[in-house]
Amino acid sequence: MKPRTVELLFLVLAGAAATMAYVSVYAGRYGEVSQASIVYALFFVGVFVALHFVVRWLLPLADPYLLPVTALLCALGLTAIYRLDPRLAQLQGRWLLVGAALFILTVVVVRDPLRLDRYRYVIGAIGLGLLVLTIVAGTEVRGARLWIRLFGMSIQPSEFAKLAIVVFLAGYLDDKKVMLSVPTRRLLGVPVPATKYFGPLLIMWVLSLVMLVFMKDFGMSLLFMAVFVALLYMATTRIVYVVLGAGLFAAAAAFALAVVPHVRDRFDIWIDPWRYAETTGYQLLQSLFTMADGGVVGAGFGRGYLLYSAGDPVVPDMATDFIFTALANEMGLLGAVAVILCFLLFVWRGFRVAVWAPDGFSKLLAGGLATAFGLQTFIIIGGVTRLIPLTGVTLPFVSYGGSSIVANFILVALLLMVSHRTAVVHSGDEVQRRRLAELR
Amino acid sequence: MNRAVARIFVVAVVLFVALIVNLTYWMVVRAEDLRTAPENHRRIAQEMKHPRGDLLAYDGSVLAGSVRRSGYYRRRYPQGSLAPHLLGYDSVRYGRTGLEAELNELLTGESLELGTQGWVDRILGRRPDGADVRLTLVPAVQRAAQQALKGQTGAVVALDPGTGAVIAAASAPSFDLRRLEDRWDAYSSDASAPLFDRALQGLFVPGSAFKVVTAAAALDDGAVDPESRFTDTGTYVVYGGKVTNYGGAVYGLHDFTTGLTLSINTTFGKVGNDVGRKKLTAGAEAFGFWQRPPLALPAKAVAVSGRYRDGALLEPTEDMDPLGTAWFACGQENALASPLQMALVAGAVANGGRVMVPYLVYEVLGADGTTVTTAEPEMWLEAMTPQTAATLNTMMQRVVTAGTGTGAALEGIPVAGKTGTGEKGDGTNVAWFIGFAPADDPQVAVAVAIDGVSATGGEVAAPIAAAVLRAALEQVSLP
Repeated sequence: MKPRTVELLFLVLAGAAATMAYVSVYAGRYGEVSQASIVYALFFVGVFVALHFVVRWLLPLADPYLLPVTALLCALGLTAIYRLDPRLAQLQGRWLLVGAALFILTVVVVRDPLRLDRYRYVIGAIGLGLLVLTIVAGTEVRGARLWIRLFGMSIQPSEFAKLAIVVFLAGYLDDKKVMLSVPTRRLLGVPVPATKYFGPLLIMWVLSLVMLVFMKDFGMSLLFMAVFVALLYMATTRIVYVVLGAGLFAAAAAFALAVVPHVRDRFDIWIDPWRYAETTGYQLLQSLFTMADGGVVGAGFGRGYLLYSAGDPVVPDMATDFIFTALANEMGLLGAVAVILCFLLFVWRGFRVAVWAPDGFSKLLAGGLATAFGLQTFIIIGGVTRLIPLTGVTLPFVSYGGSSIVANFILVALLLMVSHRTAVVHSGDEVQRRRLAELR
Repeated sequence: MNRAVARIFVVAVVLFVALIVNLTYWMVVRAEDLRTAPENHRRIAQEMKHPRGDLLAYDGSVLAGSVRRSGYYRRRYPQGSLAPHLLGYDSVRYGRTGLEAELNELLTGESLELGTQGWVDRILGRRPDGADVRLTLVPAVQRAAQQALKGQTGAVVALDPGTGAVIAAASAPSFDLRRLEDRWDAYSSDASAPLFDRALQGLFVPGSAFKVVTAAAALDDGAVDPESRFTDTGTYVVYGGKVTNYGGAVYGLHDFTTGLTLSINTTFGKVGNDVGRKKLTAGAEAFGFWQRPPLALPAKAVAVSGRYRDGALLEPTEDMDPLGTAWFACGQENALASPLQMALVAGAVANGGRVMVPYLVYEVLGADGTTVTTAEPEMWLEAMTPQTAATLNTMMQRVVTAGTGTGAALEGIPVAGKTGTGEKGDGTNVAWFIGFAPADDPQVAVAVAIDGVSATGGEVAAPIAAAVLRAALEQVSLP
């Protein structure tokens, strides 16, 4: 079967699942199945079918699983958000359209990811600029400084900075990987490269430290540092960077724990939420209680107890940070594990693209994006389930949040482009090969 | 490079497996612990899937009903927020209090009192519908009490002295059960503590209302009789200190009845020392002081009356010098009493010296409408001999006809009572009235406490007591 046929088949399945979930929630809320609920679902399916045709037109050999998984996750997210607050779901629906538009724009304008490598320093500077902007002009929400206000909207620049920095690092590290991996001397018996090549590592470390202290956000800081270390490791295959990076980050974390009260609080809650049950630990405990109520099979979409009579959710920030809790309650352990496996499927396809990618830049780009996506998923699901200290990052495609959904649509577009290039190089499809070559 | 990519993917798989293992741990292994944790109010949400039994008033009207909205049964309050402190709230967010907490197993249908279920039902997790609980509260009296307390800080308790049935228990400032979740932040941060039940949990300086206890102990002991003569010079000097009268009054030659009628402190100070610290304290214990009144509610909802220092209850054996004893006989000297306890004091005099066990549940009605259990009135304590009770009844009638309590008089119905003006030491008073009516055939006993006022019990509390007594006596039937 051709990849696009597979994609369409799975998109239809995802669309059917989305429709059923949506109708179920609608019925739970209004006690009826109406045309309106089906129209909304069809609109959603329409958006993804449109994306499918854009991919069919420009990236016919791209990976067939990424788009259906994206559709499924978006559908779950929209349904869960609608279930909590229909007004938010409308906004999210609009953001989904913006995301889809940017997806198309990215595919149409970039076409071949290798073209991005030419602008690597510009893109890197934009990424850095976005982070600096957040630190300078950001507003604090729940203790973390992650948002900037623009035209009455809250934008989370770090979501976009994440993509820009992965693109930059993929190009930069691919260039410098030989020098970075050749040891010139030994430190404590371990062969290490020349000091000047540690520059970027130190800059990233300082950057993540600055994020930790000024943005007070452990999650984003960890994400940036880890993605960087992963890319460095993929580029050089030298485990010493991983050890060093982990050590440096641990030192930064210990420092933040001592200096930033917000980070300290999060850590204390993680160690013993029961001690702070009525105050700072309330949110995490309610999250655990709400998940425990889901049991193995869950309450059913629209049938869990997620809203108090006044309409506010049982866990504060349920539509954003704690969306997974809502899913676990209503879909049960089985559904929640299925959601985790969907994310794993996405990550697997990402790494698969990286492994098959024909050039270093494409490899690092796909590997970096897959790492960032997977790690962000791990940080937030691990946070709301008390596996790791809670830090507020979004669950990709599922959480409410415009910046997140738009940035992740761009991420999918980039992965699809890399996978298309990979397939073209491996398949020997002359037509496509010529089309790619013409772009350069 | 591919090897490194593959290794990172392996790490990702390990992390995701850790997510799944951890999720299974919370959602399956620890699920039961989480569901039953005291911090978790979500089991209330589970119970809300079944119809919850109604809380009915004595007249059968619904105080707290059950209505289904989007799949969950929620409380409705057709009579508005009547007796909110006593009924308690039923909220997934803030938990349960009062009768909603105490009677939960009956209201949900889980209680074994409702009969055992068949094994098929148990396996299928079916359970009987919740039972309705008919309370002893009388809406008209409760409403009168709440109305009379409007704008005040204080409480009213009215009970049937012969059975112990609580007819009304009101506390002000109050809250609206229907808007609890919306207004929670305002209620819980309000300095006037509207969520606090002053009727059962509130402890106030009883002041002269306590003289009923002193008089009972003295009459029982034989230390005085109603005709015993005393001379008041405005001060009673004792143990290097002195006891003075309220407002600096001087009464001269008088008998013990007049001492109670006009609430003469010097006389009660002397009587207190004549009886002695031990017998006086034992007398108070015989009314229920130093014990939790056995009202079937969560323990923290009912306060223990007695002597307190720095918020801690002192032992009844704690020493007091004669000056302290004299002031204790006048209801000062660290004495604190709840309105419920003082209503029991009045009720004991009305009921021939016997304190009945106070109760709120008149009967439990199964889902099919049959009566499951009915309350059986029980005696709790014998506070004094029937003769002493009769004597004190007569003396207390004088308080209302010719003393400090004329504000509580009812037309054509003899009322017995005692006022109190507890001095809090901050310049404000607790105004009290305790009493019962009709004095010759007591149907209802009442205690009123109004906090933080500059007026006396006779001025503020007695008229409120009269309104509540009148409302109660207008009823055709009381529990």
